Amino acid sequence: MAEKLQKNLSKITKTNMSGLGIKNIDYKDIDNLKFFITERGKILPRRITGVSFYFQRKLKNAIKRARHIALLPFVTED
Amino acid sequence: MNSEKKRLYEGMFIINSGLSEDARKKTLERVTKLIEERGGVLKKIHEMGKRRLAYEINKKREGFYYLLYFDFPSKYILEITKELHLNEDLIRFIILKAEEVLEVLEFKSLAAQNY
Repeated sequence: MAEKLQKNLSKITKTNMSGLGIKNIDYKDIDNLKFFITERGKILPRRITGVSFYFQRKLKNAIKRARHIALLPFVTED
Repeated sequence: MNSEKKRLYEGMFIINSGLSEDARKKTLERVTKLIEERGGVLKKIHEMGKRRLAYEINKKREGFYYLLYFDFPSKYILEITKELHLNEDLIRFIILKAEEVLEVLEFKSLAAQNY
């Protein structure tokens, strides 16, 4: 699962963020936000996501908003 | 500076799913009334339906999600936020400045755009 996610992630980040000029991500867009958090619910660092600082900040804000409104978990414990 | 100036906001509201349908509608009405009383204009209401909360809030695991787009005088945002906090049927809400009204709540998959 994690491996698959990582693969998808690198595909996403390499071409899309800079190449296709995606500038924003919505906090309601949880399907896409899920690529940028760990299985535990932590935000992945830029070291791993490979996106620009600008976009990482957008991600951070979106994820935190989604957490507040209970669309994403703060922590996942099973 | 014109403080009466309106701008577009979006608000997401989670309403207690334990309520009956009527009570739920009333709760939503209270929210919309609050907006309209202060000179707000509703642009769009998305009913996102019953969703599982990502974590437990006040012993509740589910909630009804609504997304509202409305024009509202910026001056009164704090005021309605305070008032909304008093409503116990609202599990949680968030009010943000919005750029545009989303007619459909669908997002393109970032992964799919590669193929």
